Amino acid sequence: MRRRPGIGGLQTAAAARDQYRLLGENVAKLRTDLMKEQLSTFRSQLEDFARKHKNDIRKNPAFRSQFHEMCAKVGVDPLASNKGFWAELLGIGDFYYELGVQIVDICLATRPINGGLINLEELCKMLSQRRRGAREAVSEDDCLRAISKLKVLGSGFEVITVGKRKLVRSVPTELKKDHNEILELAQAQGFVTVEEVERRLSWSTGRATDALETLLDEGLAMIDDGHRDGKRRYWFPCVSSVSSFVASETL
Amino acid sequence: MQTLGGEHNNNNNNNNNNNNNNNNNNNNKLPHFFNYPPYFTLQPVRETREKQIQLWKELILDYCRVQKVFRIGLEEDFPLFSNPAIERSLNYEAREAFLSAIVLDGRAEWMDKNHRQCLILWHLIKDWADIILHFVKENGLEDSVMTVEEIRTGIESRGTDIHGMDRGVLMRALKLLENKGKLAIFKGTSTDDEGVKFSV
Repeated sequence: MRRRPGIGGLQTAAAARDQYRLLGENVAKLRTDLMKEQLSTFRSQLEDFARKHKNDIRKNPAFRSQFHEMCAKVGVDPLASNKGFWAELLGIGDFYYELGVQIVDICLATRPINGGLINLEELCKMLSQRRRGAREAVSEDDCLRAISKLKVLGSGFEVITVGKRKLVRSVPTELKKDHNEILELAQAQGFVTVEEVERRLSWSTGRATDALETLLDEGLAMIDDGHRDGKRRYWFPCVSSVSSFVASETL
Repeated sequence: MQTLGGEHNNNNNNNNNNNNNNNNNNNNKLPHFFNYPPYFTLQPVRETREKQIQLWKELILDYCRVQKVFRIGLEEDFPLFSNPAIERSLNYEAREAFLSAIVLDGRAEWMDKNHRQCLILWHLIKDWADIILHFVKENGLEDSVMTVEEIRTGIESRGTDIHGMDRGVLMRALKLLENKGKLAIFKGTSTDDEGVKFSV
């Protein structure tokens, strides 16, 4: 387009810009439409896949986990609602709901022993024991998903990481940083002493004692005065596997 | 362990006893809390202590039932009071706390006001009375006479909970039955001669 000086020239330039913009928008729209179409194709292929592999998804935790990942990539949440296409197709809405209920049960039953913190591995083990007769095996991934659904209900369930472990918290009190550090320390032998906390974390006696006493009050720790060296030990059931031992006898 | 009082055992000891997973281990496999050191220290925090007491109560009662222990001396070497594998023992305060809880449940009695000796009623007296009645009927002893020792140690009672039971507990059960008119107790020339005439 030949540039012309003067008002006419300006008007032409403006018109040209408008046309380019329109073209640009069209191209963008085309792209979006194309994407939408691809996405919708993908979704329906995912649905077909789900239908075909329903049993595998139900029975195989590893397969199920990968299926979830695929869904997440496409923005599909099979657990979004208990009714609706996915829940009906797979029936896995119920599965996670059921898991959630059992998890809450186990956490409540073990709370007197561990103060409301239980390690994920132990929780899964107890869950599997409970579901011995069921046809669906349960993985840690399943537990985490069920717990994340519980979170949505605002029930105060959360998964926290302490050192190498994942712990499931089922009480509203959050772990303070000091407490977290003590728990991490306790993972080595299952217990700590005041002295050890002071030494390893470079804390004052006051700070160590306060933190340990608070953990004791909250039911996360138990005292042990029976060692022949006479030093009080603070044990943490949530870093051992005691909850399962103790609770299986009362569930 | 097959006993005449088999059904009685399970029904009468359901004192919130949900040990269904471990109930059939007559080789007495001990529960895992027994190997966790802090359980040998009486816990200061109420909720934790309550759980601790509950676990110990159940263990003690179970153990006594299986081993047929009737009396526990708090200053003696009762096997459950120590676990050498983890080098822990219950101190007197803890022992007293756990046994007091069983007493409160009506399943034990202090034999002295200083709480040094405890009688464990893993069957209640009235349940012992029922077991004896059952035993009498099962063995066709309705109109017979037996000495107390014969009831306790005779051939007929072998294989039942009655065999080898504590004499004091047996006497109390018999007296209960006497009050109901099911039998009459009479004395011989010495305590060994004490006899019972059943009129069941």
